[in-house]
Amino acid sequence: MNRRYRRTLAVLAMVLTASFLLAVAVGAVWISPWATVRLLAWKLHLTARPHGVPRSTEVILFQLRLPRVVLAGVVGAALAASGAVFQGLFRNPLADPAIIGVSSGAALGAVAVIVFLGSGALGAFGVPLAAFAGALLTALVVYRLARIGPAVHVATLLLAGIAVAAVISSVMSLVMSFSGDQVRDIYAWLLGGLVGQGWSSIEAVMPLVAAGVIAAGLTAHDLNLMALGEERAAQLGVEVGALKRRAVAIGALLAACAVSVAGVIGFVGLMTPHLLRLVVGADHRRLLPAVLLAGPTILILADLVARTVLAPQELPVGVVTALLGGPFFLFLLRREGRRARAVG
Amino acid sequence: MRPHRAAVALILALTLVGCAGSSATRSAPLTSSSASGTAFPLTMRDDDGVSVTLQAPPRRIVTFAPSATEIVFALGLGDRLVGVSGPYDDYPPAAKRIEEVGGAGDFGVDPNIEKVVALRPDLFLTIEGGDQWKARLRALGVPVFTINSTSLEDTFHDIETVGRLTGTEEAARALVARLRARDEAIEAKVAGEPPVSCFFEVYYPPLTTVGPHTFIADLLRRAGCRSVSEHARSDYPQWSVDDLVREAPEVYLVSSESGASASAVARRPGFDAIAAIARGNVRVIDSDLVSRPGPRIVDGLRALARALHPDAFA
Repeated sequence: MNRRYRRTLAVLAMVLTASFLLAVAVGAVWISPWATVRLLAWKLHLTARPHGVPRSTEVILFQLRLPRVVLAGVVGAALAASGAVFQGLFRNPLADPAIIGVSSGAALGAVAVIVFLGSGALGAFGVPLAAFAGALLTALVVYRLARIGPAVHVATLLLAGIAVAAVISSVMSLVMSFSGDQVRDIYAWLLGGLVGQGWSSIEAVMPLVAAGVIAAGLTAHDLNLMALGEERAAQLGVEVGALKRRAVAIGALLAACAVSVAGVIGFVGLMTPHLLRLVVGADHRRLLPAVLLAGPTILILADLVARTVLAPQELPVGVVTALLGGPFFLFLLRREGRRARAVG
Repeated sequence: MRPHRAAVALILALTLVGCAGSSATRSAPLTSSSASGTAFPLTMRDDDGVSVTLQAPPRRIVTFAPSATEIVFALGLGDRLVGVSGPYDDYPPAAKRIEEVGGAGDFGVDPNIEKVVALRPDLFLTIEGGDQWKARLRALGVPVFTINSTSLEDTFHDIETVGRLTGTEEAARALVARLRARDEAIEAKVAGEPPVSCFFEVYYPPLTTVGPHTFIADLLRRAGCRSVSEHARSDYPQWSVDDLVREAPEVYLVSSESGASASAVARRPGFDAIAAIARGNVRVIDSDLVSRPGPRIVDGLRALARALHPDAFA
């Protein structure tokens, strides 16, 4: 069993590496994976500068492709981990930061800061922090609304998410009506975009994602016990109230990190934990590392599709994940419905 | 394997890549610095207010506007042009064979940044707009220079600017002198004619015309047209057929970009009540000639003058 799990992780890591090299290679100019590897080795001071690689290739690799692909990886990891935490917390496989409105809340926080204070306000962390505040608030509201008695039901969760997201989107329209010239930028950003961001976005968001992921790892065991029900978890020594607050904060932080640099990207947080639970099981301690390898892979590939299908024009990556994830979500919803009927 | 240890390892790996990349962002510009020509290195302020420095006369030029492409060719620099914006860069015909860098971005109107960088341009010549991608290109060491024309005089000035920028000042001055002489000859002829009231259709539907502060309005005035829209408040106002019936322009000019022939305009419902259309005074104007502030602009002026005063320019 343990060996099988390790093999799964190894396969996931290999797929991630392959997607990374592929995504870095494909674009207006082909950069061979071998050239990428040699240039990376040179940048890491392992080898001398490779011969026969033009300077323009170096600029494209280090200043355009790599930041974009790495950012897709970081955002994918954050979304997938956020989805795993929310699904554990709500004990509901349909939880996704976008579906339950947390991403919208984060977007509202970020847009409000951009419009009223300017995107450079409060330093590099201004937008992520505002996004975090919006996400946290939304998660708490949705959780309160969705909870009836001890459990969070699918229907109430989705309804609460939809209702809260609707309110947020109208507030967002209101905020955007104050924005004037920035409307087009904000709109493009909201669709979900990894375009045109240098290393600075990654540097700003990386420490927060890292903190969120570590915190999620430390909460994994308690989330497992939560799966037994709140009462059982409490009997087993879990401080249920504190755990819930912590899990909401972690899920919101991770979602906020993703939204603050890439806008609202749906369904990665839904699909990734779900697919991997089928492979590695429901234990969050095993699920989380797998999700952290698969989330980046999914978003890197989605972004690759987004920028190549209509090349040179680009699709917002959120459109690609929604086209992939939407049908998946409907399938899950239908299966949930059938299961509920079978139980009832 | 403990889960958080795996997580930490992944984060470390990603952070390492991040650090490696950030050192590459502070790169030297892509321009070469061979010392040829007298005025270089040259620093000029462009129409966006940005100060641009060129170390040497550019050898690899990318233009991102058909008018800029035409100017570069007219200065004899066609062989230094390595990229143009897209299919609208169709004049001179040789421009159609040059690599296209446009069509990118969410709305398909931005340059493809990777393609531009791969072409290693030492001058990127464009018109106003696109502040974001311009900033990105500058950050990558591409010298972006913006020219922006709002009048015929401006266009002459821009041609001379491009001449200085590319070390072809004399060719530019000679070209402008020729254009100016032709312009003066046309305007002198127009001065002997009574002004004609006219309407210029940019687009239909909705029926759209030009305001007084546009490039085309400047040409119309020089061509001896008293435009019925010369008091419009915006640059591209919508116009109603009712107003046109009342204003009764003598000549109805249609931009070829509007896609309509003279007979098609006359067939539109209600249009036959407009005086110019009832009298058959509808003229289609090649929009490339009047909308591109480049070396063919005097051809555009002549086309307008001829449409308005057919007898004087027979």
